[in-house]
Amino acid sequence: MERILKAYVELVYAFMYLPVAVVALFSFNSAEMMAFPMTGFTLGWYDIAIHDGRLLGGLANALLIAAPTALIATTLGAMAGLALTRHRFRGRLVFAALLIVPFFIPKIILAVADVIAMAVVGVPHGVAMIIAAQSLIILPFSTMVIASVLIRLDHRLEEAAADLGASGWQVFSRVQFPLMRNGLVASFFIAFVLSSSEYVVTSFVAGRTQPLAIMVASDFRFHLSPKLDALATLIVVANILLVAGSELVRRRAKGAVG
Amino acid sequence: MEGGRTSLAVTVGPVLAALTVLCLAPLGVLFVYSFFHVDFVSIVPDLSLQNYAKVLTSGAYRYLILKALLNGAVIAAIAVVIAYPVAFFIAKRIRVVKAALLTALLIPLYTGDLVRIFAWRLILGREGVLNSFLIWTGLIDRPIEALLFSPMATTLVLVYNYLPFMVLGLWLSFEALDDHLFEAAADLGAGRTTILVRLVLPLTAPGLVAGALMVFALVVGDFLTPQLIGGASGVTVIGAIADLFGAAFDWPLGSAIAWTLLAAMVAVVAAVVVLLRRTPWGNVMFGGG
Repeated sequence: MERILKAYVELVYAFMYLPVAVVALFSFNSAEMMAFPMTGFTLGWYDIAIHDGRLLGGLANALLIAAPTALIATTLGAMAGLALTRHRFRGRLVFAALLIVPFFIPKIILAVADVIAMAVVGVPHGVAMIIAAQSLIILPFSTMVIASVLIRLDHRLEEAAADLGASGWQVFSRVQFPLMRNGLVASFFIAFVLSSSEYVVTSFVAGRTQPLAIMVASDFRFHLSPKLDALATLIVVANILLVAGSELVRRRAKGAVG
Repeated sequence: MEGGRTSLAVTVGPVLAALTVLCLAPLGVLFVYSFFHVDFVSIVPDLSLQNYAKVLTSGAYRYLILKALLNGAVIAAIAVVIAYPVAFFIAKRIRVVKAALLTALLIPLYTGDLVRIFAWRLILGREGVLNSFLIWTGLIDRPIEALLFSPMATTLVLVYNYLPFMVLGLWLSFEALDDHLFEAAADLGAGRTTILVRLVLPLTAPGLVAGALMVFALVVGDFLTPQLIGGASGVTVIGAIADLFGAAFDWPLGSAIAWTLLAAMVAVVAAVVVLLRRTPWGNVMFGGG
């Protein structure tokens, strides 16, 4: 029974990694056709992918968007996390429910609502709106990551600081912030990754700005090539490094609790 | 604590402002637009219910909304069945590498919708990895056409996309489950089935419901998977909304469909909660005990 259970779980994990593995495998295959039998090993597709000026421009756009997005989402997530874990206030449940609305609501509905609201107010499509819309979509994730660290922190430390005469700001800057820093770093990395892979809402509010995800989407509809395998593999590896790194940092925050 | 009170306004304020400006207010505007209508190429701001009448009387839109809800429920059910043993295993059979296993489960999520869909198209395509592998090994002579662009393919990829959320929800419940309860039940003569049905299922029901509702909402709202994996079968209400805001240019009708879908989703979630309250499981979940 135990052995069957273990084999089953291994099978599910294999299923989760099958697509990633296939993409990585064919990124090293020399043939243009992505099919068996494999024809030989090459790094050529990586060479083509990293020298593609158009894609590099898209990557630069994606990173320029991801950095401020991650900063905003993490700042708002920290505020929301502090409010949820450190205060008992009326409407706390409503506040928590509102925070998960951007997660539960279909992305297309959020996108078209933003498009209409932008038209009514006269906000132009473009980078600023991408950053704003993505920050909102990522807010539930950053709140969760930061709250998971805050829950484990010993809040008596904060109470002690307040009892000893620290102001609200001093409690935050001298006690809470240093203790939750790992959570903030983890949230920043995860928000960065989520931002660079977000497509649906981005494509609706982007205007003429072309982040990498939008370019990949059009390439993948019109000219499929192992170059995309190479690119996807690079993205996956970068994401794994960022997410695994953020997990390590987040779990080290555990040390703060006695 | 006075400092605490000021910091509450400082923390809740900006978050509420962002939520209002970027989500709640736009949804409000969307709601108002759903009562307008389009005349040639301009939007006429006269309030009427004609869009909702169109949505509710048109067989096509009613069918698409029902199809979306049904699809969400089916995928959620499949995900529950697949995820249940996995969540149990991670929570109760793993000690040292638990964190690593959970992170490993989430990593495919972070690769983004596009990369994942791209990978599945590669695998399931007519000249794709799976077909070519089966032909190469001699198991079949000609490619199986139905692998890609079929409802089955969409189901497979949707389950793949959202399974981690289900595992996470269930894992939290399993983690909170006290092992001594099993021992006590077994000591009192309960068999494996009795323990599962009367103890484990009710106590993990909160995680099960939370996970299932997450999967349900995410499947209903999935735009790319049905479109890029389902082919002709991939027509969805979400796709119809996107079309009305793109080529078809009928924002008011699109808004009405969007709000009808939202209302239907909220109704399903509310119905699940109400039904659960009436079952013995509900006592565990909502009875505070």
